[in-house]
Amino acid sequence: MSSGYLNRRDAMRLAAMAMVSGSAMLPGIARAAGGTINFADIGVGDPNGDWSKYTAASGYNVNLVSIGNAPSAILNVLVSSGGQGTYDIINIVGGMQKPLVENDLVEKIDTSKIPNWAKDGFIDEFLGKGKPGFQFIGFNDEIYGVPTVLQGDSFAYLPEKTGKLDSYAALFDPQWKGYVALEDNYTTAAQKTALYLKKAGLAQIGNPDDMTKEEFKTVIDFLIDQKKKGQFRVIWNSFEQAVNLIVNKEVYVIDCWEPMVFVAKSKGVDAVYADPKEGYLLWAMAAYLVKNPNRSAEQTTAAYQLLDFMLGGWYGATLTNLRGYMTNPQAVEYAAANPSEFPADQAKRVAEITDNVKRKFQAGGTWQNRWPTEVEFYEAEWSRFKAA
Amino acid sequence: MRQALLSLPLLFIVIFMVVPLGVTIMVSFWERAGLRFKPAFTLKSYETIVEGARLDVLIRSIAAAVEATTLSLLIAYPIAYVLARKASPAVARLILLLFTVPFLINYVVRNVAWTSLLGRTGTINSFLIQAGIVDQPLDWLLYSNFSVFLGLISTYMPFMIFPLFLSLAAIDRQYLEASADLGASAVATFLRITLPLSLPGIFAAVVFGFVGCLGESAVPIIMGGVGYELLGNTITSSMDVLNYPLAAALSTVVIVMMLLLMVSWYLVFDLKTFLGKILEWRS
Repeated sequence: MSSGYLNRRDAMRLAAMAMVSGSAMLPGIARAAGGTINFADIGVGDPNGDWSKYTAASGYNVNLVSIGNAPSAILNVLVSSGGQGTYDIINIVGGMQKPLVENDLVEKIDTSKIPNWAKDGFIDEFLGKGKPGFQFIGFNDEIYGVPTVLQGDSFAYLPEKTGKLDSYAALFDPQWKGYVALEDNYTTAAQKTALYLKKAGLAQIGNPDDMTKEEFKTVIDFLIDQKKKGQFRVIWNSFEQAVNLIVNKEVYVIDCWEPMVFVAKSKGVDAVYADPKEGYLLWAMAAYLVKNPNRSAEQTTAAYQLLDFMLGGWYGATLTNLRGYMTNPQAVEYAAANPSEFPADQAKRVAEITDNVKRKFQAGGTWQNRWPTEVEFYEAEWSRFKAA
Repeated sequence: MRQALLSLPLLFIVIFMVVPLGVTIMVSFWERAGLRFKPAFTLKSYETIVEGARLDVLIRSIAAAVEATTLSLLIAYPIAYVLARKASPAVARLILLLFTVPFLINYVVRNVAWTSLLGRTGTINSFLIQAGIVDQPLDWLLYSNFSVFLGLISTYMPFMIFPLFLSLAAIDRQYLEASADLGASAVATFLRITLPLSLPGIFAAVVFGFVGCLGESAVPIIMGGVGYELLGNTITSSMDVLNYPLAAALSTVVIVMMLLLMVSWYLVFDLKTFLGKILEWRS
């Protein structure tokens, strides 16, 4: 299982690199396909390769290329590897507008060309202008990302070992010393820690979404102190690794993503994704329209059709079923209304997941910041934590 | 025609080795401009290495590479010695062939496999508990210095056996016989004949092991637990924020160390003689 996952991801990455570099060298050939939308995705937005409904409606095919989700991977694809001249849409975890817009890599979204935009109540409720979630799709009061997936992260635990847990304090509770794992990511693990420190009154942190250097240093000092006390067993780096940590009961409390718990449960492990009183780390996937100089007006129209399709019921219900994330309000209705495509258990699952994630967004917390103002300081400090 | 053919390997090395390394060194002196970088001559990236946590990482990486290489050498040398001097050629060939098997499996996969064996609920701990040898799982088997060194040694030690074997196998037996005839003990013969004559192989093995360990990034991630950060990891991390000059500066440190090792090898040992002996042994 491990090797399969690694190999598949590696192969997809290599294929992506080959495609990007190849098309950069031969732009004429790459664009010759005509009715194809080149769609870069981090692996979440793929409806198992079934784009038939979109193709039937638009006449265009979708060429999905898997890319990494790290900010550097995304920017490398667009800046260094010629991806700007290849891709039409990149579907990644949002909040990347600042580097993408400032470097002229993506276009403003004209929401009037996306009929499903107005039908998506989640956008207005959680990601609209003036809402904290706007930072995931907007920049300078303009919209650049189409929110395809929404989720609130917290941590998982094994109730048989720990009992019920409802606070990020569990990650730092000496009771679980040596049985805690964190994600190797300063925009998740450090931000959740900041949320905890702020809510518990243990540190003066104005905004965990975008900390000052001093605030972030306080967070890292706290983590280093915990690390030196032996609180953490491991800092995980991949989906598979985190799942194994839970399934093998290597750790009892783990800062992780909810789908990992779904996988662990499917393997017979009683893991619970916590509802922390401090709130959640909220985030959204955003599909960006790449400022591709090679794209024709017709292709841009088709790209908008794809963005609209991604806010539709079928796509939303399919992704919620496959990935366990909330997508859009139409997903629940579509799944319930189309039992031939979504049997009752799947429709129920779509409704449950949607309700659950909606509840998280209503509870609030902190919005993950993928490109904080002091991003380089974050990175250097995270290195300090890991090196300590 | 012959010269043109002979220049092909040189051309290959220049295009795929010298030019990329040169570009890396050059970029390490460039400065950042937004997400990109522009030509300049600044030592800012090197200052960042010296001033921040990267220096600790650098020192730890060098220490870990030295320790892992030394341990690997201590394991690989006796194996190579036995294969070269004691085992029959058929057995030696078979065992050397077995040492190539790990190369057929991606080393990342091999290291992931270690985690299944060494974890708290892994095979080894389960056995130890069931056998009544321990009451609690041994935590230090995984996500520890032990596991990082196990990963480094199991990854790079096989690379070290081959140059050691070749240098030992190439030693003329007449030297050893002469030493024995003159009354030297087996230990004295080893220390005064075998060991000095195998130094080119030892040095080659050390280069293979040290350079690999110094730039390693996957083993610490898989086996290291709480952020066992080595140089390879901090290079990757600096690229996450598109700080290519810093990544290039860190890489340059590795390149310079590697070059120093290679130059010393070239200056201290007669490479041509060493390679000549290998050809002699093969014939």
